[in-house]
Amino acid sequence: MGTVTFEDISLNQFDLETLPLLKKLRSQLLNTKPEVCIERARHVTEYLQSTEGSGESMEIRYARAVNYFLSKKEALFFDENLLAGTTTCKAFGAPVYPEWTGLTIWPELDTISARDKNPLRLSPQDAEELNLGIYPYWLDNSILEYARKKYNNPECMQLMQKIVFFIGSKAGCISHTVPNFKVALEKGLACLIDQAAVKEAELGRSESASAEDEQKRRFYQAVQIALQGIIAYARNLSRKAAELAATEQDPGRKANFEKMAQICSQVPENPARSFREAVNALWIIQVALHAENINMAMSPGRLDQVLYKYYRDDINRGKLTVKEAMELIGCLWLKLNDNTNLVPETAEELFGGAGTAPAVTVGGVDEKGEDAVNDLTYMMLRVTELLQTRDPSLNARYHYEVNPETYRNRVAGVIASTQCVPAVHNDVVDIRVLENQGTKLEHASDYAVIGCVELGVPGRSYDAPSSIMLNLVSVLELALYNGKRPITGDEEISPPTGEPSMFESFEQFWEAFKNQLKYVMGQAIEFNELLGKAYQEKLPSPLLSAFFEGPMEKGKDLIRGGALYNSSGATNIGFADTVDSLNAIEQAVFIDKKCSFPQLLQALKDDFKGHDPLHQYLKNKTPKYGTDHPVARKNAQNLIKFIFDFYQEHENYRGGTYRPGYWTMTNHAGQGKLTGALPNGRKAHEVFASGITPVSQATENLGACLRNVGSLEARFIPSGQALNLKFPTLTGEADIKRLGEAIEAYFKYGGLHVQFNIMSYEMLKEAKDNPEKYPELLVRVSGYSAYFNDLNEAMKEEIISRSAYDIRTGQAIPLPESTD
Amino acid sequence: MLEKFFNFILFRFSKLSRAAKKILADIESELTEEFVELLLNTMSLYFRINKEFRKNIKGFEGRYLFRSRNGNITLSAVFYKGKMKVSEEETEDPHVTVIFKNAQSLWNYILSPKPDILGSLLKQEVVPDGNLNYLYKFAYMANHLRLKLPDLV
Repeated sequence: MGTVTFEDISLNQFDLETLPLLKKLRSQLLNTKPEVCIERARHVTEYLQSTEGSGESMEIRYARAVNYFLSKKEALFFDENLLAGTTTCKAFGAPVYPEWTGLTIWPELDTISARDKNPLRLSPQDAEELNLGIYPYWLDNSILEYARKKYNNPECMQLMQKIVFFIGSKAGCISHTVPNFKVALEKGLACLIDQAAVKEAELGRSESASAEDEQKRRFYQAVQIALQGIIAYARNLSRKAAELAATEQDPGRKANFEKMAQICSQVPENPARSFREAVNALWIIQVALHAENINMAMSPGRLDQVLYKYYRDDINRGKLTVKEAMELIGCLWLKLNDNTNLVPETAEELFGGAGTAPAVTVGGVDEKGEDAVNDLTYMMLRVTELLQTRDPSLNARYHYEVNPETYRNRVAGVIASTQCVPAVHNDVVDIRVLENQGTKLEHASDYAVIGCVELGVPGRSYDAPSSIMLNLVSVLELALYNGKRPITGDEEISPPTGEPSMFESFEQFWEAFKNQLKYVMGQAIEFNELLGKAYQEKLPSPLLSAFFEGPMEKGKDLIRGGALYNSSGATNIGFADTVDSLNAIEQAVFIDKKCSFPQLLQALKDDFKGHDPLHQYLKNKTPKYGTDHPVARKNAQNLIKFIFDFYQEHENYRGGTYRPGYWTMTNHAGQGKLTGALPNGRKAHEVFASGITPVSQATENLGACLRNVGSLEARFIPSGQALNLKFPTLTGEADIKRLGEAIEAYFKYGGLHVQFNIMSYEMLKEAKDNPEKYPELLVRVSGYSAYFNDLNEAMKEEIISRSAYDIRTGQAIPLPESTD
Repeated sequence: MLEKFFNFILFRFSKLSRAAKKILADIESELTEEFVELLLNTMSLYFRINKEFRKNIKGFEGRYLFRSRNGNITLSAVFYKGKMKVSEEETEDPHVTVIFKNAQSLWNYILSPKPDILGSLLKQEVVPDGNLNYLYKFAYMANHLRLKLPDLV
């Protein structure tokens, strides 16, 4: 159970003036330009190339490659951060992962340093090494191309490659998980290595060993090899820190280097004995995880719980002050920002502005269901409030029956002052949703957020929640155009489901839609399964597996189903626009009979030009998701149930289920820009609504929005959802309390998650037109934070146009006439 | 003998220079259907005379098929033993086939100062079929050539 000792939980006595180290480090971070880092790519490629044809299993080879890299990884100290270790060899680095998406920047090697959107510095020498020394090895060996060749370019892969139907994220990563750092901090890596060695020895050595035992043996060996790499890296850090201490003249810096040298000689090889050792051990492990898996949503989890006992013990012994603890937390937060994703410029269309989304979760209840809010919870909230950096993505769990109202209101206060963080998650519903998926209550109670909004159990569940990102609007169009989509022209994408002009009832169209949805979901599942199997052969994760309950006991890598709980996540894009279009078809064609289907399709084809009365009717008079209209409620509920039932019927390659979610990153903007007019009155190339949020301006008041989104059956959304709301302003304690109450009301309706931008239309419009005036403006996108200036134009427009509500009246504020 | 050799080299440089001028002129105006063939032939020629550029295809085997949607253009580029061969015949078993709407869309896809591979994919103006990594490599080489074009004129 958590303990709060602070009289003033706002910790207002601490700010960047009283924490000058954090102020300095923050300023350095924000002024550091990102650079491409090829260090990992170099060493991993070197090792794998040199052992090609060795006959050694991929598990061992890959573990050795990871060990090889970590052993050679440069021990660098770029600034006065109190923590040792860096994700890359650059102060702010974008590491190249050639196994995944690293080759996508090949065309840009000569131009990436000067590209318009989010340039990344790359030296000519490194560019040449990538071009001639690293990339050639991966031409046929990246995971997507390996799978393509192995499975002979299957239909599902060809469909995925069009990008406009679904994205199979395994081509770019799995990552997306929350490891169990606790076991590493408590026992040390040497102990984990010993455990693996014991397990290996227990298997014995027999010439007639089964294939399964051989697999287990390789796994245990791979775990030992990979973990030894982390220890090697920590020792290098210790040696280097000691060298730097020996020549450092400044007493403060010298003392810091000496301290880091001591710490790295102890952890993470051995158990952590202090708060600082625990924080640094955690950080080194986080760095090491990225030696094996791409830097996307590798989430540290419930840090206020994981680190609490070290904090409490040091405070009680007088070895640590609150200020020192704040500094260490701030240093960790800043370290979590030391890397970014390597993406081609045009990937910003779909994933614009995202950091690496390492989600940190605070608050909520513990495994026994008791209040888990403690001093560290408030310190982490305060550090987040002060630093206001893109990462980590902070998520506050709130249990309205257990956590105190003061906590809720403090969370609301931080949202008000940062204007966007943290996101808030509903413990009551989230825990129930996970239990419904077969998670034990005590494990579900310990849930943490992965990446954007997805739900996972630290060190126990392997969720791969971004496995599928499916464009629901593409399915709608396939139903409207009988197996084709305007953007793909005359190509027959899917089996025909009938010409809508022949349908005599909405139910017939709904059947056609469901059949198209089954087809696209089926293709997405097949793609995920094929890639999953390819991963089992080519990209195991023994290092990550060591930090999970299950793999060591079963002798099975996470990728082979070693975790206690297994699933694959499938999120959906364009939910609100799809539901509203279904509503519009039902109302306009079959209930009001305002138009026939052919007339409707013609209007869409014309982008409503020459069809103004129909357009106005569709836009303003047809039922909208997020309102109390029975048609809207019915269609929304039917859709999420259908999606849930279909996915849950399928078992994934790890023996788990498929779990749907509703979060979109910036896909809703990119896909929207490519899509023509829709029956809900949306004009061509307008962005879709984000996450599970109703279409902008669809709901006239906040109460209806919260009620109708919240009452969607939560158990049908096991992978999480993103509800994005906006208030132009929150003034004073009364407004903050109202915000807290609105959150609680929404949670009581049954909503899983909500996040906010506390910004007006006008302010955002000004930020878009005058970016230099808002260099550090952070906004909540759809599950993560991004600097507004890093977003593409479509995404900026989408955030500007999101519905804003008056916190006092609950009324929607109309979008100003011109936001162009 | 030596004179023949120098004349041969001069001829190639001259041919390359004319090709570079033509490409630059096409870029400034409207890209014609002949642009694709011109580009590939220029690339092939550049490989022959520039040792640095040739490093990109040392030991590289790659087979590319470029086809316009209307079927008017079919071109193969085959990289083998340090050379690039361009042909109007379809190569067997290409590593990647690129089906493009028109020359402009191919330009946008791989050659413009802001190569828009994802954007072109999203708009379905260019549809690759096969190993995308080979396409990325080709796009790098084509862009590298594009950056050199003004120096060749």
